[in-house]
Amino acid sequence: MASDTSESFDDTYTESQVILTAVKIIAPFTLTYGLFLTFHGADTPGGSFQGGAIIGVTVLMLAFAFGIEPTRQWLSNTALVALVAGGVLIFLSVGLATILLGGAFLEYELFESVLGIPGGTKWGMEAIEIGGIALIVAGVVITLFFATASGFTPERRDSSEVETRPDGGLEGGEKR
Amino acid sequence: MSLVAYTLAVFILATAVATALFRDVLSAIVVFGSYSLGMAILYTLLLAPDVAMTEAAIGAGVTTILLLLTIARTTRPTSEKIFERVNLPAVVVVSAFVLVLVSTVLGDMYAVGDPAAPVWANTEVTQYYIQHTYEDTGVQNAVTAVLAAYRGFDTFGEAVVVFAAGVAVLIVLKREVFA
Repeated sequence: MASDTSESFDDTYTESQVILTAVKIIAPFTLTYGLFLTFHGADTPGGSFQGGAIIGVTVLMLAFAFGIEPTRQWLSNTALVALVAGGVLIFLSVGLATILLGGAFLEYELFESVLGIPGGTKWGMEAIEIGGIALIVAGVVITLFFATASGFTPERRDSSEVETRPDGGLEGGEKR
Repeated sequence: MSLVAYTLAVFILATAVATALFRDVLSAIVVFGSYSLGMAILYTLLLAPDVAMTEAAIGAGVTTILLLLTIARTTRPTSEKIFERVNLPAVVVVSAFVLVLVSTVLGDMYAVGDPAAPVWANTEVTQYYIQHTYEDTGVQNAVTAVLAAYRGFDTFGEAVVVFAAGVAVLIVLKREVFA
């Protein structure tokens, strides 16, 4: 993935051996820590807001090391939409499921009393923590980063030789 | 409060003032990142690890990265002056306000961890959660229980706000895809 700077149209990227090595070592640990916070948040400090943010930051670290554009192309838009919108849908459907079982919104006790799942309250909370909030937060952190990173850049440098920028990003686009 | 906590408080105040005073945007962002890190350590000392993790991950991490990215994508005006010009009348007014606030409010505040403090001692809210969380929900972290079970509907609203923030950025930047 380490790309040549002359071919890359990401003009803020410089390939640094220090950053690459550091990220390669740290990234597995931050991802594990983020997953730990998310999955173990019910019994230890932390939770899916924090865990989701750290999972998202892992992707941001990869983007810093390997260049924003290659990382952006490696991620697909469908996956990010699935993360963010899927998280909201899972959260909402857990809440609506308890209404369908005859209770109030997010009344987890019904998972145990009606469906007979032992520890239903805890599993319901884990469902909205892991399946809802963590996905939304991780997805939105990645989304904010890549939307900001690519929002001001020309779409393709090699698509046209003329120095034009799409939809009026003229003033802000010039480098210092 | 230990000596470490007081040192941290001074550090946080200094970085907060420096963030406002620095004329160069890059310097302000770097100092703001260290401010968030100081806040995260202070939250840990005050036994609020959940808040500390959020501050470290979002405040010091994601916010700094997003701000850096934004100035990398826009112009960064250069200037010989290091600090912003200080508006003296505004400083006088703000200082007077802070002085009045500190002299009237600070004396009535409870010490950190005081068992007589109403936020700790009241049986209807705080003590109820501490005593009933495990038998009600089966989780050991009361913060998670309040977020996901007792205040689950609020958390749903919060999650939707985060989702809306992502969509709002796309609208502002006039883009149609997330990545």
